[in-house]
Amino acid sequence: MSLCYSYTPNYFSIEDILVTQERIPSKFLVNVPKLGKLNPSAEENDIKQGTALDLPFWLADPLSFARHPLISIELPRVYKEAYREILKADATAVDLHKLGLYFYELGLYVKRLDPRREVEAILLHTFRSRFKELMDFADDVVCDPVKQNRLDMFERTLFQKAHFSRMQLKSWLNNSEMRLEAATMVINHKKRKRIDVDDLF
Amino acid sequence: MNPEEVEFLGEKQLISIIPTFNSSTIHLVSGDIGPFRASLPVNVPLWVAVNLKQQRKCKIQPPDWMDVEQLELLKEAEKASRNFVKMPSEHYMIEGKLLLSIATDDIARADEVRTIIKDIWDIRMAKLRSSVNTLITGKSYGNVDNLTIMEINSMRPLIPHAMDQIHRMKMERPRFSTPSQSTSLGLLNSSTVISTFK
Repeated sequence: MSLCYSYTPNYFSIEDILVTQERIPSKFLVNVPKLGKLNPSAEENDIKQGTALDLPFWLADPLSFARHPLISIELPRVYKEAYREILKADATAVDLHKLGLYFYELGLYVKRLDPRREVEAILLHTFRSRFKELMDFADDVVCDPVKQNRLDMFERTLFQKAHFSRMQLKSWLNNSEMRLEAATMVINHKKRKRIDVDDLF
Repeated sequence: MNPEEVEFLGEKQLISIIPTFNSSTIHLVSGDIGPFRASLPVNVPLWVAVNLKQQRKCKIQPPDWMDVEQLELLKEAEKASRNFVKMPSEHYMIEGKLLLSIATDDIARADEVRTIIKDIWDIRMAKLRSSVNTLITGKSYGNVDNLTIMEINSMRPLIPHAMDQIHRMKMERPRFSTPSQSTSLGLLNSSTVISTFK
């Protein structure tokens, strides 16, 4: 299963390559000669100290963590205070796909840039509060593409797997000469009384 | 696992049949079945029973629990309880589905039995979902006592994957790469990095 590979990112994991391709804001601390090509907005040959650039994570991370760091990196926009507030307010209403294809995976990489561990907390909070919706959504026979587009890539894989297995179960339940089904009276009754789970607990 | 695979496991359950033919013992890898004497009850695996029934060579004696009164009681108990009630059979759904599809003539009030089994399944699934939700939101532990294989399987692969992901989020992530001093300084002169950007 492809999902299993993404657990521990490895050299051959395409997902992981795509995640580390995401750009994060970085600032050069020293003059770097002959690397002007990295900065598409300037014609110069060299990169000057203090230039701000968005570098892919795979490049920025090692450069910022060397003994003599060449650049300093900061949290990408979507993990900062303002966005964290939005996610805290109601994570289910957010279009995660817009915030970045790999919201969770990149979050795992950049969370150590935040010493107060608020990024970690918001990742957990987001996943947990969106989970119920994901589960309900996987149960629907009809997939609503609008809803599906709001999922981050990880959620999307999870959804596809869950949806597939739910559909298998549904077809197993329906697939016999005599179906196991609710009485016709119950089906015809327009407002079927749902079992109120809260009452049970 | 597919539901079909779970069904396969459930088909090993023994069930009592009354054969309408005579035959000596049949030796199978999974064990001997028979001997069959016409109109003497004998225990066989569910899959054999289904096969013989389809050939009209036996009458199936439904398990004791497949009875409207008992199932009603079970349903009420299931409704009243917070936790999952122990089912009379580890594979109630599979037995129910197979027997109710091929042996309706052997089961008393088959239609009612079918409806009640379905109701019990629905109640249990609703409980399972809310239990899973509390588990994921971290409010408390999940409650999986007395769940049957089919029910547990219905939450796969969603739950294990979600739990793994939560665990990963809580874990300290090892660094993307830990460059030694020589690579970090040598990087600027190396042509590989620059060529990536050409």
